[in-house]
Amino acid sequence: MKVEVRRLTVRYGAVTAVHDLSLGVPSGQRRAVIGPNGAGKTTLFNAITGDIRPAAGSIALDGHDVSRLGPWRRARLGLARTFQRSTLFPGLPVAENLALAIRLRARRSWVFWPGGERRLRQEVAERLAAARLDRVASRAAASLSHGEQRVLEIELALAARPRLLLLDEPMAGLSGAERQAALEQLRSLPPDVTLVVVEHDLDAVFAIAQWISVLDRGMLLADGTPEQVRADSRVQEVYLGSRG
Amino acid sequence: MTGTAAEASLPVRAGHVARGGLLAAVLLALASLSFWAPTFWVSIAIQALILAIFAMSIDLLLGYAGLPSFGHAAFYGTGALVCARLALASPGLGILPLVGISVAGAALLAVPFGALSLRVRGVYFLMLTLAFGQMLWSVAFQAPREWLGGSDGLIGVVRPSLGLLQRFDEQLWLAVGVSPGVAAVRHFYNLTLVAAVLTFVALSLLVRSPYGRTLEGIRENEHRMRALGCPTFRYQLAAFVVAGALAGLAGSLLTLFNGFANSSSLYWTNSGLVLIAAIVGGVRTLAGPALGAFVVLIAQDTLSSYSERWPLLLGAMFVGFVLFLPNGLLSAGRALRGLTRARPVELRR
Amino acid sequence: MALGLQLTLSGLAFGGLVFLLAVGLTVILGLMDVLNLAHGSFYMLGAYAGVTVLHIVGSFWLALALAPIVLALLGAALEVAFFRRLTGRGPLMQVLLTFGLSLVFVDLVRWRFGPQNQPFPAPPQLSGSIGILDFRFPVYEAFVIAVAALLGAALLLGWRRLRVGAILRAGVADREMVGLLGVDLARVFTLTFAAGAGLAGLAGVIAGPYLATYPGMDENVLILALAVVVVGGLGSVAGALVGALLIGLATSVGPFLRQEIATALVFGVMALVLLVRPRGLFGLRA
Repeated sequence: MKVEVRRLTVRYGAVTAVHDLSLGVPSGQRRAVIGPNGAGKTTLFNAITGDIRPAAGSIALDGHDVSRLGPWRRARLGLARTFQRSTLFPGLPVAENLALAIRLRARRSWVFWPGGERRLRQEVAERLAAARLDRVASRAAASLSHGEQRVLEIELALAARPRLLLLDEPMAGLSGAERQAALEQLRSLPPDVTLVVVEHDLDAVFAIAQWISVLDRGMLLADGTPEQVRADSRVQEVYLGSRG
Repeated sequence: MTGTAAEASLPVRAGHVARGGLLAAVLLALASLSFWAPTFWVSIAIQALILAIFAMSIDLLLGYAGLPSFGHAAFYGTGALVCARLALASPGLGILPLVGISVAGAALLAVPFGALSLRVRGVYFLMLTLAFGQMLWSVAFQAPREWLGGSDGLIGVVRPSLGLLQRFDEQLWLAVGVSPGVAAVRHFYNLTLVAAVLTFVALSLLVRSPYGRTLEGIRENEHRMRALGCPTFRYQLAAFVVAGALAGLAGSLLTLFNGFANSSSLYWTNSGLVLIAAIVGGVRTLAGPALGAFVVLIAQDTLSSYSERWPLLLGAMFVGFVLFLPNGLLSAGRALRGLTRARPVELRR
Repeated sequence: MALGLQLTLSGLAFGGLVFLLAVGLTVILGLMDVLNLAHGSFYMLGAYAGVTVLHIVGSFWLALALAPIVLALLGAALEVAFFRRLTGRGPLMQVLLTFGLSLVFVDLVRWRFGPQNQPFPAPPQLSGSIGILDFRFPVYEAFVIAVAALLGAALLLGWRRLRVGAILRAGVADREMVGLLGVDLARVFTLTFAAGAGLAGLAGVIAGPYLATYPGMDENVLILALAVVVVGGLGSVAGALVGALLIGLATSVGPFLRQEIATALVFGVMALVLLVRPRGLFGLRA
């Protein structure tokens, strides 16, 4: 799925979080969005998903202007995201967390009698096994460790079989082994899925990104291949120098 | 559940069997009640069953959808009043169409009620549903005499017969030497019991269905469900309609039992009472609110016959439950029995 | 013309009373997420406390001063004893607690005083009526308007200008943040609850000579206060003022047109506001 952000401006009261930002992500690209805290990265995500309404500008998915669509409609088009803080279904078992996502994808939610979910359960089991969460399948999502929650967070988004995947700081708080597993998970994504990652972990960024957009104070500072961005002096000054 | 039955450990399966056995025993006791209990008890049981249907319906909204509605009496009262109005207007109407139309009326009201209330959440939602419910009461209270009977209400509702089934049932009683009035009460008890059991079964199936699971997902994290592509409003509104319809069922049964109906069934204290009943028994269990209904009704009846200060005692009882037993009797019972091994989370029942 | 003025003044008097009840309700609601259904009980207890003081001492003015204090103390005690235990359990539990408490209070009053109307005479200085244009307007109702206006202005100013007002406004907007900024939330809650109870008690004393004093007196007024909170917006003093004004006028004009419309009009206003602006006219948050 192709994403086009045109002249996006987002304001929170008197503060302008994103100012006249334009960028485009071609279908299937591995894009990273980096920048110091407060640069407007998560706000950008929220504007793309429809969680906030911009003061100006538009968002287009695969050429269609989705600016007036709510979050759930955009999700139905094939957009999925994760959140900075794990947003799971805390009281429900891990397996049920995934089941919810798959059930919505399969559009089987308007059935009023139990049963008929054998294939769904199977897919849940397969995904859990692949993500190495099968041991904790029946535990409440809230009881998982931070790393396990982050994995589940991504799995929830993946279960929707999205065409556009927005990941908000997927590496945050992960141990070394967990980081490697997450990187593997991202590398093994199908090539037609567009991936946009907001990250502070620059090693991870340079490991997977084909193209990097650098944000600073709500504006696009630099935009290019990892080598270009690494070499850009403005980026070095603003971001790499100040360990944001 | 995630795994097959074989994966469930032995203590868990023992727990299931014990629970099923308990349920069966209770059902048996209730079913036989009309045979051995004195008529006064049967009357109480009818009222308890009506409150139980009412309470199970609010559990769908409160326990499963996560929507604490303080206006549920609106549907209860609508069912009651529509039933009375209809019965007086068309005396020949059979019991099934009578109840059916009352239920439909309550369900219809749930659409605008829910649609407006669902614009907000949390304590605001609570307040809004309370306000809407009282709005309906005040309109009904001040309605012209020709419509809803004014302060006296609608009286003289005759309970339509179920035809052959009822005649057969009543003949049995009369043969044993019971008076027709008593036979009618016991027959109505059976009717109410059937309605309550059907409600329990229907809701049990509904909450375990894909729709029910989705509703629970919305309760646990509405924002995430929307991010996953779920139009949450529709599911919540549907829950309103189902819950409203069942509350209307309870209301219409109340009218048929009492033989009259007035606007007081719409009053907000009924919404509070049904919530308390659900909490007392334990929300999100369906059986809990039914149990809570029995407890609350019997407490109300017992206290009022012992002391003139029964509202005070009842209020104190409510306060006690909210402070010390907020998860209800069923959860306390579970803790005491210890039949299931301590698990880190409460799974599906 | 004169009739319009008379109705307006009556509406202002009643609206003023409802405001005193609603302002405590809305601030408690906005700050603590507690829908206090016992607020009506505070109102009723205030009236009965006033009657008691009147019987013992014989001074209306002393009753006016003491009843709010008694209620504030009661409110503080309840908050510490009960509501503290329920923080974090969600709004429903707290509401049900207040529901149970309201049942207890009403019956306690009924026990001690009986179900009949309590005579609550106005003091001689406030009895009688004054001539305005071509009708006579009760002095007591003018008194109610004056008290409500004074307190309304004081509360609004305090809300906007004083530090405690800023803390409360911030707390309504974002409770967690205020706590993180080092404000002792527990104390703020207790004081807010006490203040709300005191205002409700004051409303009760004022209502005594103006409306009837009996165990269920709060029922009609509480639901109107609730409508005011919904219309005005959670946690907004200005909203409570405007809402109470609107609702007071509606209740005064309504019965004049047709008895049944009175409450329907009030709720019609409420439904309309909600359709257009679910947060209420001045709502800080939904």
